[in-house]
Amino acid sequence: MNLETNIQNSYQIRQSTFCKYVLVTPNKEIQLTFPQMLELRRKINGLTTINTLNKIINNENFVLLFVADKQHLIFLEIPQLLKLKEEIALFFLDFKPVLV
Amino acid sequence: MNTTAIRKQMSIHPDVMDLLNNQIGMEMKASASYLAMASWCDQRELLNSKAFFYKQAEEEREHAMKIFTFINDNGGAAISPNVTNVNNDFESLRGIYETGLEQEIAVTESIFKIFKSARKEGDLITEVFLQWFISEQSEEEDTFRSIIDVFDLMEGMPLKMIDERLPKE
Repeated sequence: MNLETNIQNSYQIRQSTFCKYVLVTPNKEIQLTFPQMLELRRKINGLTTINTLNKIINNENFVLLFVADKQHLIFLEIPQLLKLKEEIALFFLDFKPVLV
Repeated sequence: MNTTAIRKQMSIHPDVMDLLNNQIGMEMKASASYLAMASWCDQRELLNSKAFFYKQAEEEREHAMKIFTFINDNGGAAISPNVTNVNNDFESLRGIYETGLEQEIAVTESIFKIFKSARKEGDLITEVFLQWFISEQSEEEDTFRSIIDVFDLMEGMPLKMIDERLPKE
């Protein structure tokens, strides 16, 4: 239960300015631009396909991921990886046109 | 999270962008495949066919580049694709054109899929962008079908003679 709560609170994405975002991890807050967000989304989506997840589980059981143009390295275990995927999916959800 | 913020950064839908990136890979694979076909024809002095496939290889790359710049121009992230497993081994000229037609049909189907997805997500920019591709694919398929018709009409004739009656582009 505690682990679940920790994971739920551990990875969050916040918008700081118009084109700056912050990825909150348990150890640090990482500033991200929008292109860096897109790159993170691509990497996480690539790591969370069924085949890749199976490979990770059968080998190291964790991933090391460069983010923000290789300025930061984050360590993710499977529950954290899935939580981050969920957070990114939520971030890109509801792609609504801007009402003018 | 203010979701309209994403729309301010990019004007195409993220899921549609993923499909467009897959399409870039497909077009580049088609380009590499046509290059292999051109080489096969070039080695056998099939002059019209080799010119046709060199041209096709260039065109497919142009299509890929069109999508590539479209994604970046609209705030997305275009991904340079991996192109692997290109077949260089063919059994006949007719077989090459039939493979080409199959390839074009697969590309058309894939564009239809993206078009439908763009429509579903309300991504009008991509929808309009893809209209050119749909017309282009219809022409491409027609070209290949016409060439295969020539093979049917000239069945039994020497390969070189058939090649001389095929279009160069």
